[in-house]
Amino acid sequence: MRSAIFAVIVTATGLVLLLSFKPHNVTAAPERPGVMSDPPAGDANGQADTPATSGKKSTGKAVPKVTANPGSWPGDGAGLGETAGEKVISGVVADTRFGPVQVQLVLSDGKITGVQVLQAPQESRRDFSINSEALPILDQEALAAQSARIDTVSGATYTSDGYVRSLQSALDRAGL
Amino acid sequence: MAIDAPGEMPGDATGGMPTRMVPAAAISAIGAGAVAVLALWWADTPAVVGLDEWLTGAGRITGLLAGYAITVLLALMARIPVLEHGVGSDRLARWHAMGGRYVVCLAVSHTLLIIWGYAVTDGTGIVSETVTLNLTYPDVLKATVAVLLLVGIGIVSARAIRPRLRYETWFHLHFYTYLAAWLAFGHVLADGNEFIGNRTAQAAWYALYLGVALVLVWNRFLTPIRQALLHRFTVTRVIEEAPGVISIHIAGRRLDRLKIEPGQFFRWRFLTRGLWWSANPYSLSAAPRRNGLRITVKDLGDHSRGLAGIRPGTRVLAEGPYGSFTARRRTRRKVLLIAGGVGITPLRALFESIPAAPGDLTLLYRARTSEDLVFRTELEQISARRGTGLLYCVGPRSVVGDPFTPHTLTALVPHLPDHDVYVCGPTGMTGRVIPALRAAGVPRRRIHHESFEF
Repeated sequence: MRSAIFAVIVTATGLVLLLSFKPHNVTAAPERPGVMSDPPAGDANGQADTPATSGKKSTGKAVPKVTANPGSWPGDGAGLGETAGEKVISGVVADTRFGPVQVQLVLSDGKITGVQVLQAPQESRRDFSINSEALPILDQEALAAQSARIDTVSGATYTSDGYVRSLQSALDRAGL
Repeated sequence: MAIDAPGEMPGDATGGMPTRMVPAAAISAIGAGAVAVLALWWADTPAVVGLDEWLTGAGRITGLLAGYAITVLLALMARIPVLEHGVGSDRLARWHAMGGRYVVCLAVSHTLLIIWGYAVTDGTGIVSETVTLNLTYPDVLKATVAVLLLVGIGIVSARAIRPRLRYETWFHLHFYTYLAAWLAFGHVLADGNEFIGNRTAQAAWYALYLGVALVLVWNRFLTPIRQALLHRFTVTRVIEEAPGVISIHIAGRRLDRLKIEPGQFFRWRFLTRGLWWSANPYSLSAAPRRNGLRITVKDLGDHSRGLAGIRPGTRVLAEGPYGSFTARRRTRRKVLLIAGGVGITPLRALFESIPAAPGDLTLLYRARTSEDLVFRTELEQISARRGTGLLYCVGPRSVVGDPFTPHTLTALVPHLPDHDVYVCGPTGMTGRVIPALRAAGVPRRRIHHESFEF
């Protein structure tokens, strides 16, 4: 009995300590859009930022990202529309349980060369942290697949679903 | 199983590590795993802002720990030779029981904290958030079933209910932990924030669960079959030693390859219609002979009662040998063995075999009535042959008084603090003997005890 009480106290104390060692104000946490444009180097998610348009590998920190995009979720469509022959097409706003998802495609010679998320659920920090990890993966998948037949990111089922619907509608609009 | 691997010496069962180091090493390894799991949360959490994130954060930590700890619980029961020999099966069972309660508490806390935290974030009620979580998040419904199973097993194993159940019922209910672990596995990877996009963490989680599953299958399923094929254990004789106490003689081939030490036990599975599904631990009640083993069983439950009807020729599967209640724990010249009731069985084997000069070995045997004294003739023969002390204490406590007081023990056994003491008996008895020995001046590290209640 004594050891049980001890275990409960140690666990509860440990929990509170662990949680209390983390920063507790929003400013200390990464800014919402900022987390997209400057992911931590070496993080598994950093790879998702590799611009597929240029075809070269890059790590998250080495490449200064161009974030001249209108949405809160700038994707890999940096510099879109600057070159002749590039077309920008928005998908429909796909509603999900947690909020709307909308993507925009950059097409060049009938190929997807950039994907940009115009909107995605970011009401809560939970939505935000999930989507900031999931959306780059989805962007990558879309660029690689050149279609809307992409895998759902585990843990972000709803966003994935909305993403695919919006992406498909953009492809439909482009006549692909 | 490593114990009968060719060329392996008995001392190598713990991988060359001194036996007494194994518990500390095991606990360190378990702790290191827990730290790694906490580090996973730490690395994935940029900040904890607001009540909802405190709750969700606590929920995630308890969830990760529960998911990790359930594999530890299963590993403790996976009959890993190093642990069985170095920690001892009874101590592993105690760790497992303590850890089991802890895991149930962690899983329940995780469930409640996550529901509450998500409800605060979404600005909804607890009930509607529970429904949402179960119906819309992938694999959460299965995890809910898992947590309910764990709570059910926890309730059944609780001290208040456990004695009212048949051992076999309780034992088989425990197999639902495998189901629970499997059901809960999916939601960790599908919904666990720490695992999204983190291939390394996903791979590590898979490795943890698959590793434990492999160890379980290997040690609890394949090894007994392999041993059965190799040793072909068969019942040769069944003898009634005392009312409700029977000895079963079991023959087998190549028993020398098992490297059995007196004081150890096997988990026996008698292949008869009523008994085959359950493997029960029984100590060897005599030092192993070249072609035969003996176990002695008291009627303590349905299984041991069913054993009375065993016929010679019955085939037996045996897992083992297990247990660290052997001469290897001894550190002094003088040895005292204290037996209570049917706890005599491993001590009877030690009494016969533990190396001791005349006068250095004493057996103190407590029984309720003189009818309950099993092996009386054998013990007296051994005592006469080896020149060892043999003391009986027979009768209800109201008549003979409590023999297990520091004063009585000191009077009965000269130079008591200078002994290694082996204690085996019912929990109630060992609970009185050990403090009495401590009070009489025997250091804790020289008191070796094994409970035969698993």
